[in-house]
Amino acid sequence: MVRSLSPLSVPYRVFQRGSGIAIALLFALGGGFDLPVVGAAGPFVVVGLGVVAATALVGYEVAYVSRFSYELTADTLDIDSGVLSRRSREIPLRRIQNVDISRNVIQRVLGIAVASFETAGGGETEAELRFVSFEEAKRLQRELGRLKRDEDATAEPDAAGAPAGPETTELFALDRGELALLGAFSIDLRVPGLLFVAVSTLGSTVVPQYLTGAGGVAVVGLGVAGVILLALASWVVGAAASIVEYYDFRLVRSGEELQYERGLLQRYDGSIPFDKIQTLTIRDNPLKRRFGYATLYIETAGYGGGDGRSRGSEAAIPLAERDRILDLVEELEPVGDVDFERPPKRARRRYLVRYLFVVGALAAGLYAAQALVSPSIPWWPPLVLAPLAVWYAHATWRHRGHWLGDQHVVTRNGVLRRETKIVPYYRIQTVIDSRNVFQRRLDLATVTVDTAGSLSLGGQDAAAVDITGERADELRTALDARLDQAVDAYRAGRAGIGLEADGTHAETSGPEEVDAGAVTEHVGAGSTERGGPTSPDSEPVADPEGADETDETESSGGNRSGTDETESPGDGQSGIEENG
Amino acid sequence: MNRLHPRVRLLWVARAVLTAAVLGGVAGGVQFAVAPPWLPGWTPAAVFAFLAVVGVVTSLLRYRVWRYEVREDSLYLERGVFTRVRTVVPFVRVQHVDTSRSPTERLVGLASTVVYTAGSRGADVSVPGLALEDADGLRERLKGLAIRSEGEDAV
Repeated sequence: MVRSLSPLSVPYRVFQRGSGIAIALLFALGGGFDLPVVGAAGPFVVVGLGVVAATALVGYEVAYVSRFSYELTADTLDIDSGVLSRRSREIPLRRIQNVDISRNVIQRVLGIAVASFETAGGGETEAELRFVSFEEAKRLQRELGRLKRDEDATAEPDAAGAPAGPETTELFALDRGELALLGAFSIDLRVPGLLFVAVSTLGSTVVPQYLTGAGGVAVVGLGVAGVILLALASWVVGAAASIVEYYDFRLVRSGEELQYERGLLQRYDGSIPFDKIQTLTIRDNPLKRRFGYATLYIETAGYGGGDGRSRGSEAAIPLAERDRILDLVEELEPVGDVDFERPPKRARRRYLVRYLFVVGALAAGLYAAQALVSPSIPWWPPLVLAPLAVWYAHATWRHRGHWLGDQHVVTRNGVLRRETKIVPYYRIQTVIDSRNVFQRRLDLATVTVDTAGSLSLGGQDAAAVDITGERADELRTALDARLDQAVDAYRAGRAGIGLEADGTHAETSGPEEVDAGAVTEHVGAGSTERGGPTSPDSEPVADPEGADETDETESSGGNRSGTDETESPGDGQSGIEENG
Repeated sequence: MNRLHPRVRLLWVARAVLTAAVLGGVAGGVQFAVAPPWLPGWTPAAVFAFLAVVGVVTSLLRYRVWRYEVREDSLYLERGVFTRVRTVVPFVRVQHVDTSRSPTERLVGLASTVVYTAGSRGADVSVPGLALEDADGLRERLKGLAIRSEGEDAV
């Protein structure tokens, strides 16, 4: 059925485009300037022009909305649009990464929304419907999920036209306390920059007048007060922004999709199919680790929803207790117990040398300043940092690690911004083993796992850093082999990524054989609903080295214990949740 | 393991010398325009000679290190003078394969094969310095292997 945009989008579009013109007109009228040619009749001409412009605008928008049609067919989304130059698009449904709905305050009052459809290609949103009614947007989101499932499972479409919608379970909701905490920890670093620009343009004329009259102490006091105010302003703005952005954040599992909602003024509402998830990233910092909190990013290959800032990470859980994040990770990607393998001890020596070198360089810099500029500059203060460098080297080594699971490779790096990346073997694109001069001297290597996730554009791919050369060789072949097996398994009817089947959502327990090695047969609870070829399952792919043929670790929190922050160095046991 | 066409050394050496010449020229320009008294007159020549030697040595080393191999199910590359990089590109992940020939490459009758994946560093994978027929052959072979191992793509 061919559909068109909501009729309410005409007034909104006119309002959106026309407000700028209207303001310009108001200025023209209010200023009451004389047009040289028309003289005293100026205001009338301006009003006349305004009327013409308004008519043209309304006409254009009416034409745009009436010439815009879309249709959701069984396997494509067809969009015909354009007033003067027409454009017809057919987007295959299985290429659509996620569907995002956003609506700001005015749109919410009018009951309309922007529905955007992301695909993996290109850097921007593939198609946007501006605007459809909110119900229609939700329907599209739902239908799309349903059609994709049908396509995958080759099941006959629902006889009942009204889609009942798959049952939804809430995976995560940001409670008030967490929201408050998130706000408290958000500092908007753009504020100082903006203020600096404002002050440097305005201030250059105003400030000197005051400064000449004031004494030195007053200037210092003023400066300190300014810095404090600036910090306070950044904090308030940051807190307000993150509260507005993440107000009432909910993450819901609906069938084989992840749906999220968030926002106070502008409301975002998106869906991510499970089989489009590329990687999961858990990020924390010492403060969050201390208090047991973390952040989770869910990456797809699509362009980020909402705005440019959340690029490629549509459903980020901004802040939650570590346990809840880990439960959610287990729900999304059943990783099981993670036992990180640390880099060899000689890597730590490397970090120590590196950080001590920084300290040395600072001291040398000051020494040079002392020699060249003024003898009153002391050269030794950086040496105070030396113990810190020792600690930091150890921490860097301690927090670094990698682990190969049944279906995932997990890496962890960083101290001040520690990132744990979970990459299903099935999502591996290329494996890169690089060794620079210093690494070669110590026989160390860095193995980077490249995925199509768009967050990794910043060069933050999952990487096992500073592992032994021998291990890197092993890892390279192992990852390649496991990808192959994951692809085979996927073709044989199960994705290397997806949901753990549970009582309500038993997916499949297909008996397909995966070549080589022992496969622990997954016992799906309850009946099999769909035996579809691509229904996600999480049966462990055979381990090429036959290393651990453990029973499948279920998503229960039973085997997770040590979530507390212990700063005791060198404890061997580690999970994702391990911090020691 | 295959090596690149030996003629690629010529290309790389020529490029290195050219870069050195340009930078030496810049140094010469600075010398001429600013003429700082503490800078000896032979600086541009020294800049050129130093960069040229470094560039030529790196080019030759680079050729010695470069290896590639079409394995059963993946393309394997080994390269890098200072940072040794080994890349594994599984054929299932190959999106498309190009043969590209820059003007300088055409001059010496060589070509590059570029392999694209959906990964965030997709265009990183290219095999330079192949004889044209080798490049085309590699491309066709990769194409065949990629098609044969075609699966559901990962994105």
